[in-house]
Amino acid sequence: MARSFAVVTDSTADLPDEWRTRYGIEVVPLKVLFGKETFRDRVDMSNEEFFRRLAASTTLPTTSAPSPGEFAEVYRRLAKDHDGCISIHIGAQLSATAEAARVGASSVAGFEVRVLDSETVSMPIAFLCRIAAECATLDDAVSAVSQRVAKTRVLALLDTLRYLEMGGRLTRAQAMIGTMLDLKPLLLVADREIKPVDRVRTRSRAITRMVEFFKKELPVEHVAVMHAQAPDEAADIASRLGQDLPNEEITLGQIGCVLGTHTGPRALGIVYLKK
Amino acid sequence: MALAKATGVDGQLFKRALLGSLSWLSANHEEVNRLNVFPVPDGDTGTNMLLTLQSAVEDVKESNAAEISKIAKLASHGSLMGARGNSGVILSQIFRGFARAVEGKSSLTPAELAGAFEEAANAAYRAVNKPTEGTILTVAREAGRAAATAASAADANVPRVIAAAAAGARAAVQKTPGQLPILRDAGVVDAGGFGLQLILEGMLKSVEETEAAIGSVAEPRAPVTPAAQVSLDLPEGGWGYCTEFLIEGSNLDLDLIRDQIEALGNSVLVVGEPELVKVHVHTDDPTRVINVAGGYGKLLKLNVGDMSTQHRRIIEDEGATAPRPTRPNGVGLVAVVAGRGLVDIFRGLGVDAIVEGGQTMNPSTQDMLTAIEAVPYDEVILLPNNGNVIAAARQVVGLTKKQVDLVETHSVPQGVSAVVAFRPEQPGADNLRAMKAEAERVQTIEVTHAVRDTRSNGLRVKKGDVIGLINDRLELAGDDYADVVKRALGKLGPNDYELVTVYRGEQASDAEMNQLETEIRSNYPSLEVEVQQGGQQHYPFILSVE
Repeated sequence: MARSFAVVTDSTADLPDEWRTRYGIEVVPLKVLFGKETFRDRVDMSNEEFFRRLAASTTLPTTSAPSPGEFAEVYRRLAKDHDGCISIHIGAQLSATAEAARVGASSVAGFEVRVLDSETVSMPIAFLCRIAAECATLDDAVSAVSQRVAKTRVLALLDTLRYLEMGGRLTRAQAMIGTMLDLKPLLLVADREIKPVDRVRTRSRAITRMVEFFKKELPVEHVAVMHAQAPDEAADIASRLGQDLPNEEITLGQIGCVLGTHTGPRALGIVYLKK
Repeated sequence: MALAKATGVDGQLFKRALLGSLSWLSANHEEVNRLNVFPVPDGDTGTNMLLTLQSAVEDVKESNAAEISKIAKLASHGSLMGARGNSGVILSQIFRGFARAVEGKSSLTPAELAGAFEEAANAAYRAVNKPTEGTILTVAREAGRAAATAASAADANVPRVIAAAAAGARAAVQKTPGQLPILRDAGVVDAGGFGLQLILEGMLKSVEETEAAIGSVAEPRAPVTPAAQVSLDLPEGGWGYCTEFLIEGSNLDLDLIRDQIEALGNSVLVVGEPELVKVHVHTDDPTRVINVAGGYGKLLKLNVGDMSTQHRRIIEDEGATAPRPTRPNGVGLVAVVAGRGLVDIFRGLGVDAIVEGGQTMNPSTQDMLTAIEAVPYDEVILLPNNGNVIAAARQVVGLTKKQVDLVETHSVPQGVSAVVAFRPEQPGADNLRAMKAEAERVQTIEVTHAVRDTRSNGLRVKKGDVIGLINDRLELAGDDYADVVKRALGKLGPNDYELVTVYRGEQASDAEMNQLETEIRSNYPSLEVEVQQGGQQHYPFILSVE
C-alpha cells in the first residue's frame, strides 16, 4: 500500500466486509448489550443472529460506544507501520464514539490521529472512508472528507418508530407520529439532525414516497440502499433508483446490530452524498 | 301597525312572518326528520333547517327596523352563521337571495315580494354545484313561480302571494317522488322541500293572524293542511333547547308560571320574586315558552341554547403541558370529528382544533368558524370528514379574515389520510394538493343498521338490517357485521390493497370485534389489519382500506 496513513472507522459505518481489505480500513466495534451479555458489533454476533434475538427478546438491547482505551489500543497498533491516521466516526449527535476516539487518541503519544465527526451514520461513513483511503496524504484525506461531511444524507424508512423512541433518539412528537395510529416514519439524517420528512400508513406507499423524495435530491453520488433483514425490498429500491442513475454503482448494504437496535427490523434506507 | 294589505311587506311584518315560520317549523321538524330517505342514521334535515332558521331569527328578534331590507339582511347573515347540513346551507342561500332582491327597499308590493321569492330560489340554484330536481331547490322555484302568478292577478295582495307560494311549495313537494327515484323507492317526499313548505306556511299563518288581529276581512286562502300533524310528538331523547330568561313584571305568580312552563318541557326551574322571576327549561319549542312567558311581563337576558350545540365542544388541547412548537408553514388544522377515540387520533396526528360533530350532529358554520378563529394560525385547513358537513364547511370560507381551505373529506378514513399527508414544513398549497390526493386514495367502508325499510341501489333493505356503505354508497345488506365487511372487502378487490384499519364504534362488542377481525384475517391473509378504538356512534365499524 502506497498510502502511509491509516483509515479507521467504527462498526456503525456498515462497511462492507470486502472493503476492509480492498481499501485497508480498520473498524472498531461498538457494543450491543442484551441484559448482561455484551456483544461486539459484527464481531461476536452476525446481523442475522442479532435480528433473531431482537425479535425473541422481551427486553430491548442497549448499545454502547467503544471505550477510549479500545481506540487507544487500535491507534497504538497502527502507529507501528503508519505515519498517522484519519478516524471517521458516527455523528456526535447520535453517539459518544467520536469523543471516545478523541480521548483515546490523546493518550497515544507521537502518532497523529485526526478524528472526524461524520455527522451521519451507516454507509455514508463507509463512503467517506473510501474517499479518504484513495487520497495520497493524510492532509488530503482530512480535507476531502471534511468537505463532504455536510453532504451526507441518510433517508430512512422505519417499520415502526418504537426502537428509535426506546433508544431516546427521537420522540414520537419529533417524528410527527401520533400515539395511536401505526404510521411509518420517513426520516432524514442531515445537518446533525434527524428530521421527519414524511409519515405514511402503508409500507409500499412509504417506499414509493422514499424513492420520490430521493429523486428530488438529485444530483447525488455514492449511493447505497441499506436494509435490516429486508433484502428483496432493498434490491427493488436499488433497481428503481438505477433508472435515474445509470452511471452510478448502487451498493446494497446491511444495517448492523448497533444501528439495528435503534431502527428495528425491516428498516430500509437510501444513503448518499449530495453533489 | 301598518296594514299589510295596504302597504305591502315592511320590516316588522317580515319579522313576524319569520317568527311564524320558526314556530311552525319548530312544531313539525321531527316530521321532516322522519322523511330521511337514506337508511343510514342521519335523519336530521328538519333539525338542521330548524337550527338554521333559529339562527336567522336570532338577530331579527331584537330589531325594530321598519325597512324590510334591514330585517332581510339580518336574517341572511344569521342563517349563514347558523347553517348546518345541506338543507340548512341551501336555506341560508335562499335568505341571501331574498336579502339581495330587497336591498334598499323599505317595503315590498305584492309583485316585489313575488320577485324576491323567485330571486331567492335563483340564488339557491346558483349556490349549488349540481342542482338536483326533486329537492328543496325545485320547491323554492315552484313557490316563486306560484307567487309570481298570484302577484300578476288584478286583486293581488300580500297574503294571497304568500298563500300562493305556500301552495306552490306544497304541490312541488308532492311531486318530488316522481323526480327522484330514491324518494319514490322509499315512499316519501323530499325532506328539505317539505321543510321549506313549512317555513312558507308558517309565514302565511302569522300574516293571516296579523290580518285577523287588525280586524280586516279574512282573505279566501288555500287551505293549509300540513302533511305533518305531529307537533306534540317530541323526539325520544331529543336534545331540545336550554331556554333561560328573566321575567320582569309585577305581582308575578310563580306557581302559575311554573305550571304553564312545565307543560312545555322538562328540567323546569322557576324561582324569584313577584317582580323578577328566573325561568330555566329544556324544551323543544322555545318560541312557545317565550310567547307564554312574554304574556307576564318583560323578558330579560333571554338565552336559548341548542343543547346539541352545547354538547359539541371545541376540545381544548389536553396535552397543553408541552406546547407544540410553532408550525414552520403557519398553517393550522381543524377537523370535524365525533367519538372519543377518533378525537384522540386526530389530535395525535397534529390537528389543532376539533369541532365535535358528524353524521347526526352536523356542526354549524358558526361552530367551525369559532374553531378556526381559535387556532393560532392565519391559514387554516378544514376537514369536514362527513358528506353532510361539507356544505356548511364551504360556507366558512370567506366568513373570516383567515385564509381557510377545505379538503372535502367525506369520511373518517379520508380525514385520517389527509391529515397524515400534512407536512408542517411545506407551504399550504403543497399540503392541500397532497392531502386531497391522499384522501382520494383511501377507500371507506361504513357499517351500520338500516333505520328504515328502503330500496336503494338495487338493494332491498329492512329496518334493523346490517348495511355496508362503500364510499358513501349503500352496497351491501346482511345479518351480521363480519359477513357484510367480508363481502365489502371482496367487492373492493383485496389484492389491490395492503392495510385495513378498523375504527371500532361505541356499539360494537368485544365478540363482534373479534369475529370481524378473524373474518378479515382468514379470508384475506395478505391484508394487514389494525384495530383502533374510534368510539363513534351509529357506526359500529368504520374501515379504511388502502
